[in-house]
Amino acid sequence: MLFFFASCESTDAVESGTYTGTVDEVEAAKTEIYVKTDDGKTLELYFTEETSLSRAGETVDFSVLEEGMAVEVEVEKVGKRLDPISVEIME
Amino acid sequence: MDQLPDFWRTEVFHPLSVHLPIALLLVATAFKLVSLRSDGETWNKGGSILLFIGVIGAWISVYTGNLADGIVSRNLCDPTVLKDHENASLATAWLFTAAVLLEMVYVFLKKSWLKFLMIGAMIVGAGSLGYTGHLGATLVYQQAAGVYVPSDDCEEFE
Repeated sequence: MLFFFASCESTDAVESGTYTGTVDEVEAAKTEIYVKTDDGKTLELYFTEETSLSRAGETVDFSVLEEGMAVEVEVEKVGKRLDPISVEIME
Repeated sequence: MDQLPDFWRTEVFHPLSVHLPIALLLVATAFKLVSLRSDGETWNKGGSILLFIGVIGAWISVYTGNLADGIVSRNLCDPTVLKDHENASLATAWLFTAAVLLEMVYVFLKKSWLKFLMIGAMIVGAGSLGYTGHLGATLVYQQAAGVYVPSDDCEEFE
């Protein structure tokens, strides 16, 4: 239980823009990823039908995403929700 | 023309499953407190039964909440509240699970400090349960989480 309290997830709401970081967690069933940005913020991103996912300029499937991957994400802040517009895998 | 969505949507199973364990765990905590009286054995047994059933219900609620999360998050204006709700619910479920484990150990060791520790976990758990419920209500009544919002002219009901 101590482990649980130490590992409670918290997420951050950031302004609309482009951020780089690494994929901290992938929840395939929810098409959701957590991205740890280079400045230490955690972004919780639920893919929408409009979200584009690419690597080296080519569209790839969500299943390609793995923890630890370097990504560049463009997000739009709606209220305090972050809608991912694009996710580019950097490696 | 809008159509009414099916009632039995995945996100609906969370509110359907969450209220029974809330009641059971709060009453279980009250029973255990009353059982501290010297003649409180009946209250103690009743509290134990409610605690066991309530913990099972709590984990079912965590499961249904996780299912709902993937659906409602995309429509919330402040999903950080949902994350807090999720964290608080897990803390609550673990606290009452710890109480169950302490109760089981108490049956064998009969150490009174185990009983006080168990009731302490339940009291903290009850507080955490209240906070979890508050966050859940905030999600529903401020952000319409999982709620179908009818059209302005209610055409889909005609």
